[in-house]
Formats: sequence, structure tokens, C-alpha cells
Amino acid sequence: MHDLPWLLAPTDDFNERCIQLGCHQAPVAEVHALAKYALSINQANRLYQAIRKLTAEPRSFLSRSLTPFRLGIVSNATMDLMIPSIVTSAIRNGIDIEVVSTDFGQVAQEAFDAGSKLNTAKLDAVLIALDYHAYPFLADPLNTSGEVLPSDKAFDYLRQIRESFKQNGGMICIAQTLAEPPYEFGGNFDAQLDGLLRKSLTEFNRALVDDIRSSMDVLFDVAALVNMVGACHWFDERQWYLSRVPMANAFVPLYAEYLTKLIAALRGKSKKCLVLDLDNTLWGGVIGDDGLEGIQIGQGNPVGESFLAIQQWAKTLKDLGAILTVCSKNDENIALEVFRKHPGMLLKENDFAVFVANWEDKATNIRYIADTLNIGLDAMVFVDDNPAEREIVRTMLPELTVPELPKDSSQFLRILCAARFFEKIDFTEDDAQRNAQYLGNARRLEIQKTAATLEDYLASLEMYISFSPFNELGRKRIVQLINKTNQFNLTTQRYTETDVLQFENDRRYVTLQIELQDKFGDNGMISVVICKVHQDRWDIDTWLMSCRVIKRRVEEAVCDQLIALARKSGISKLRGFYRPTEKNGLVREHYRQLGFDCICSDESEDIWDLAVEHYQMKNPPITVSKSSVIQ
Amino acid sequence: MSQDKEAILDQLNSIFQDTFTENNYSFSINTTRDDIEEWDSLSHIRLLTAIEANFGVQFDLDEIGNMIDVSTIVDLLHAKLV
Repeated sequence: MHDLPWLLAPTDDFNERCIQLGCHQAPVAEVHALAKYALSINQANRLYQAIRKLTAEPRSFLSRSLTPFRLGIVSNATMDLMIPSIVTSAIRNGIDIEVVSTDFGQVAQEAFDAGSKLNTAKLDAVLIALDYHAYPFLADPLNTSGEVLPSDKAFDYLRQIRESFKQNGGMICIAQTLAEPPYEFGGNFDAQLDGLLRKSLTEFNRALVDDIRSSMDVLFDVAALVNMVGACHWFDERQWYLSRVPMANAFVPLYAEYLTKLIAALRGKSKKCLVLDLDNTLWGGVIGDDGLEGIQIGQGNPVGESFLAIQQWAKTLKDLGAILTVCSKNDENIALEVFRKHPGMLLKENDFAVFVANWEDKATNIRYIADTLNIGLDAMVFVDDNPAEREIVRTMLPELTVPELPKDSSQFLRILCAARFFEKIDFTEDDAQRNAQYLGNARRLEIQKTAATLEDYLASLEMYISFSPFNELGRKRIVQLINKTNQFNLTTQRYTETDVLQFENDRRYVTLQIELQDKFGDNGMISVVICKVHQDRWDIDTWLMSCRVIKRRVEEAVCDQLIALARKSGISKLRGFYRPTEKNGLVREHYRQLGFDCICSDESEDIWDLAVEHYQMKNPPITVSKSSVIQ
Repeated sequence: MSQDKEAILDQLNSIFQDTFTENNYSFSINTTRDDIEEWDSLSHIRLLTAIEANFGVQFDLDEIGNMIDVSTIVDLLHAKLV
């Protein structure tokens, strides 16, 4: 997997394209295209150098096309070699990463000294890139009678480091599990005896995983990564002894890809929707030609089992919150019959939020799916066994992710898994409900077609809204929404879990989390507002809403609530801000529509004011079911 | 120089071009680490990885430290390949 087989290999003229980058007509699009390839460390370095040589203007356009992230790195190893791969992988995953590195070995100094480089660098996160060499596992391992176990010692050390970065630098940590090197002493007994390396590493990793789950830090499970590729391949003693490089160089691209996928997930950039082809992707054979008896799917047939494994994978992804859809060139009835009648099928019709089987081109159909679900193409992955379809869809829809697959269907699953499209950092109630919600959305669209007016339609939805201030219960979902909402987002201000925790307890802020139900189901938390309190004015620092409830006058209900709250608190003015990005054109006129006046407007910001006493309540057809903000 | 070594040098040349991006260096059998400013310890690791992957060989620990000029690298590869 070190060569990232789900990505296309660079074209033969890759080096030449890097050299020509400076004079390219559309350098930003070209950087995105070049970063999408599976890059070796040399190729990553070449692209990295070419980007650095770009002039200020294209570089700032490049940054604006990405989400910024400042990452500090401490390590017991040499990490400089990895920076080009980290930066280019980050671009591939939608992140403009700025790496602040430290000299190797400076872990404790950086953590414990409040004035250290990293603690004062205003970072979004610090990567604690330690491997087993960083801890005293091998020193006098068996002399532990009455003493603390090496695994406990190591875990405590790491906890202090994490705690110090949080206290001194106010940032979250990305902490690594420890991969087990291919060394052992007593064979099978190594897993059993306290103090021996294998047992120490197992215990350390378990303690770390348990602790991270209940903390704000994030886990980078390097042990799982090494488990996948194999310790004998991962560890290269020559590199360690000569240059303190912690892994065989060939794995640097994979390490960088997984690190930046994790960071992208922190910024809400994991994929949300899996679009599946049918023939030779979910079953073997072509249903239109081979018929129900001819296709291969299910137990008892080697090819059928290989496709069943893919269905199992998709089903679990769905349970974890991904949306499943179908896009296939087939007659709809014939395709649906497989789901209804074939006993070997694990996936059923109602596992899919949208099911498109027709003879139109796939790019058009995928666009239709995106529109129906109200999500961006950049949040979707399209899986198709047919190289020609992949190629044409890639050309038509460059934002869409389309993994490469080999001919052999038994290899599909490991490649799709290794690609980590659906990297998760959390599992919320909303994740568990997502498919039901989107299925509801598709049915809502149906009603919209039949309802006479928009008003009738909205009334027929029987919407209930509830408001509460930020609290522990909602925290994870609030952070998720803040970091992944792009379209209905007035300021696109991102906050970490630490920040959100602060808002909860800070009287200088008024916060709202908003949930919506309708007759098709519970939409969960769909909107978040943060106001900064001034003497007689509230500045609306954040106002965002999930796109699946736009055009339902929810923002009016929120505004009514905000005004009621402001009146109760004796506030005379609300001030709103609109900061344009590539994606939030939808809300350019948001404040005007609510009756705010634009008092100032330039390229980076529009400022809107509203006199609270002049506001006309909008009273949309949404019932307030609960408000713990106003009784 | 033997034909084998010529062929090795030829293949090495493109790896060098790939590894060192700053200038259009010209490489010959006489090139040493001193001739190429960019050839530091970090790019040495990238060079090593590219050579190993390209030729399908693995250098010994003590060989890596000695690879400070093109002719040594050609000799090492020749000994491993031919």
C-alpha cells in the first residue's frame, strides 16, 4: 500500500509540469491536479519546491482554495524529510498546512516550557510523533518488582506532554500509538510477561486509546497502519541508525497521507457519501445480460464472496454515518429486482438514500445525487470497476473522488479500505441517524413536487424546533458543524473543541444550538449561533446551518428567537457579518432578508446592523417545542 | 568504463535528475557530493530510496555511508547487479 494504489500514478511529464508550474495559465488548478497523483517522496519534494517558487498571487489563491491548518511537530526522530509529503498530501485532502517543526528530541522542552516555540506559535494542533524508541521500554525491562511497569511509565510521560501542550499552548495533540518492531525474546511468551516489549506496547496502546476517547486529543493509530503494511517492511534499521528516520522511506507518502486525512477529518473534510456502481462492483457479472441466476453474489461462490465482502463494508460504513447511493447504467426495474429477489444480497433497497439506474451519463447522474442530498461533489466517492467510466467521470467532475481499482475483485476491498475516505474522529447520535434523515429528505422532495405552494409544503412538514445554549451533550456535534459547514455559514469561523468548551462557560458569549424535527424524522442539531456580548450590542460571530434544512425558513425561526432573547437581555442592537468564501454565496443576502441594514461593505466583509426594537417577528410555520434559552 | 557501468550510469542519471530539483545539474562518473549543493543528508535519503526502488537492490548499512560520489555508487550497483 506504500504506493497509494487508489490514486492515479503521476503522468510521465510530471517533472516537466512541476517545472512549468510558474508559467501555467491556471496554476491553482494545476497544483490540485498534480497533488492528486500518488507521489513518491522525490515527486512530492519536486511539487513542494515548485509551489514554494510560485509568486504571491497564485499562492494566496491556492491558500484560499484550501482550509488552513497550523501543525506543530515534536518527535524523537527526523521528520524534516516528511514535510514535502505532508504538505502535498494535505493539498490532496483539501488542507493548506503550515508545519512548525522542532529539532529532533525536543519533546519535553517544547511541552513544559510555556514560552517554547510551539506553545507560542498559535497552532491548531501538535503532532507528537513518538515511536517506541522514545520510551524506556528496553532498559532493564524485567527489574520491575514493586516498581511501576514500563508501559505505565511511558503512558504517564505522554499524558504529561499532552497535558502541558493543552495548558501552555491551548492546543490539541495528535498522539500516536506505538508500532511493534519485529523483535522478540521468548516467542509466544512475550505477550504474557510484564516488562517485555510486546506486552508493554500492547498495554501502552490500550491505555492510550481508552484515554484519548474521553479527551479532546486525537489518535493517530500508527500501530494499525504498521499492522496493515507489516513491521518487517515498515522498520528499516539502516535508516534509524544512520539518520534517525523512524520508518522505511518508501512509507513516508502513506504516513503523510494518513496524517493529513486525520487532519482533514478534524476540519470536517471526510467524505460523506459513497456512490456505488452495480455490475461488477456490487456483484459479479452484468444483470442485464446474465440475469438473476447468472450474476455472482453471496456465500458459496468465490467471486460472489468477494463482492459480498464489499457489501459488508458498505453496510458498516452506512452504520457509521456514511450515505449510500447507487449510480448505475441499467434499467431501474431490472437493477432493483436484484435487491428485492436475490438471496445472496446483503444490501437492500432501503440501505440507499438515492438509487439512480438509467442510461444517462454517470456525471449527470452523480450531479443529480449531489443535488438531491444537498451535499458537495467533494464530499462524495464514486466506486466503479470500469476504468473508462472512472476516467470520464473524473474529467467531468474534478472535485469528485474516484478511486482506482485493479481488475481482480478480491483486491477491491483492501484498496478501498486503505484509501480511508471516511476517516472518523467521532461517532455522534447524528451519525447513527444520518441515513434515515437523508431518506426522509428524498421523501420530502417528493412532497415538494405535489404541494401547491411553498407555504403549504412547509406547513405540511410539521416542523418542531428547539433551542438551547451550548452544553456538554451537544459539544461534539457543535464542533463538527462548526468545522464542516461551508455553504450556509456567514463567517466560516472554525473552532476547536477547546474553544467551544470555553464558549459554554464564558458569560461574554451567547450561544445557541438548534435542533429540528419534522414528520419524517429527527434532523438532529442543524444550526449553531455564537454571539459576542458588547454593552448593548451582540455581534454575531457565528451563524451556520446544515444544508439539508435550507429553504425551510428555519433561519427566520432562529432570528425570532435571537431577537426575543436580545429583548429579554436589554440589548438594543444586533450586528451581523458576512465574510465571502468560495462556497458561502448562498447567504450573501441572509441579513438583508431578515431586515438588517448593511452599514459597511468591502471585499472581505459585509457588516449588517439591526435595531432590535424595529424587528418584525417572522413567525414561520415552525413550532418551538422547547427553549431552554427563554422560558 | 564497461558497458554495464555505462548502462548503470545512464539509469542513475535520471534518478539524480529526479532527486535534485534546484538546478539542471549535469552528472558524470566524476560527480561527487561536493559538486551538488543540494546533496545534503536529507536528499541523500531520498536519493537512496529512489536508487533502491529503481534497481531493486538494498545497500548495507556501511555502504550507505560511503556513497558520497557517483563512481562509488556505480561500483556498488555493479557489484550487486552483475
